[in-house]
Amino acid sequence: MTSIGWSFIEAAARLLARDEREAVLGDLVEADENAWQGLFGVLGLVLRQEAGLWKSWRPWLAGFGVALPSSFLLMGFSLSVSWSYLTLRCPELLQKSSLTLGSGSLVLLCQALLLIGWSWTGGFVVGSLSRRTLWASTLLCFSPCLFCLSRFRVESLSRLCLLLFLVPAISGVHQGLRISRMKLSSAIALAITITALMLPGWSSGAHHWWAPPRWTLDWALCWPAWYLVATARRAGSKAGLGSSDGLWSGGHREQQTGMS
Amino acid sequence: MLGEFEYLLITAAAGLGEEAYGAAIREEIEATTGRKCSIGALYTTIDRLETKGLLKTWMGDATPQRGGRAKRMVRVTSKGVLAAKDFYDAVTRVSRGASWAANRTGSAS
Repeated sequence: MTSIGWSFIEAAARLLARDEREAVLGDLVEADENAWQGLFGVLGLVLRQEAGLWKSWRPWLAGFGVALPSSFLLMGFSLSVSWSYLTLRCPELLQKSSLTLGSGSLVLLCQALLLIGWSWTGGFVVGSLSRRTLWASTLLCFSPCLFCLSRFRVESLSRLCLLLFLVPAISGVHQGLRISRMKLSSAIALAITITALMLPGWSSGAHHWWAPPRWTLDWALCWPAWYLVATARRAGSKAGLGSSDGLWSGGHREQQTGMS
Repeated sequence: MLGEFEYLLITAAAGLGEEAYGAAIREEIEATTGRKCSIGALYTTIDRLETKGLLKTWMGDATPQRGGRAKRMVRVTSKGVLAAKDFYDAVTRVSRGASWAANRTGSAS
């Protein structure tokens, strides 16, 4: 086998898990296959494994149920938070909005907490469901971001305002990858807090007749928090990784999921 | 019930015994069936059978003939043996009376 051919095979084999890569490359050396056969063999294995992962409902839910719709909605809400901040900083805008500095600050605080809560829980669900298909969920999250960034035309706000949700969302994904399920009490507290923060928004603000009611959009962003409650680790169940007396309960890393 | 390739893999691994690992199983299947066995089919099937509890795998020692890389050793579990026996019995039963199986399956119960 030529060294160039072998370097291609080794590059393709990086897509495999460490032990599997070791075994597969060893088998190819032992069988003394030519570079093309080896490369097609490794790529075939990678594709089969990837296809196997998509037999499960989890990556579909993470990508098309959370990452894609939530990124659209959270970009809109990021813009709303940025606009509230701008209103608070500009006395003329504050006067027009019929808000006082105190009530305006409270609205901004509620919106900011809601943005963090929605983004973090959405990210957590994506991280815990995706794992080995995280690349697809990331693509589905970023494609609407790129679309909206390219069409953003508000002079008084930076384009980066659209992406405020990304920081808590990435933090949520990181936690979701690290642990699979939250502790029940923490999940309930989080879901109730987020739901309570949503309530003031339903009674205020005018709606266009063609726009969906505010509460439907809110619930589209809120359901990951209640999903975390539904899948939370119950007291007395066996803990996996991490501490059982902290905020989190550990879960098993399903490194080989989706193969059955 | 097992699939055809799953049965071939389990049977090859059982025949190889302590020497059952990826490349050896692949060689055995190719030699017996005369068909090409891809690495992708082999390892995805090994993963699937291990998830079902029909095989157990572990990383063996590295050898110089493999460029210092370890083998993924394979052992058929008792559940795997039962599944393979079920498949074999079913094929034997369904083949009874078939023209190509004449004088071969008559003694099968």
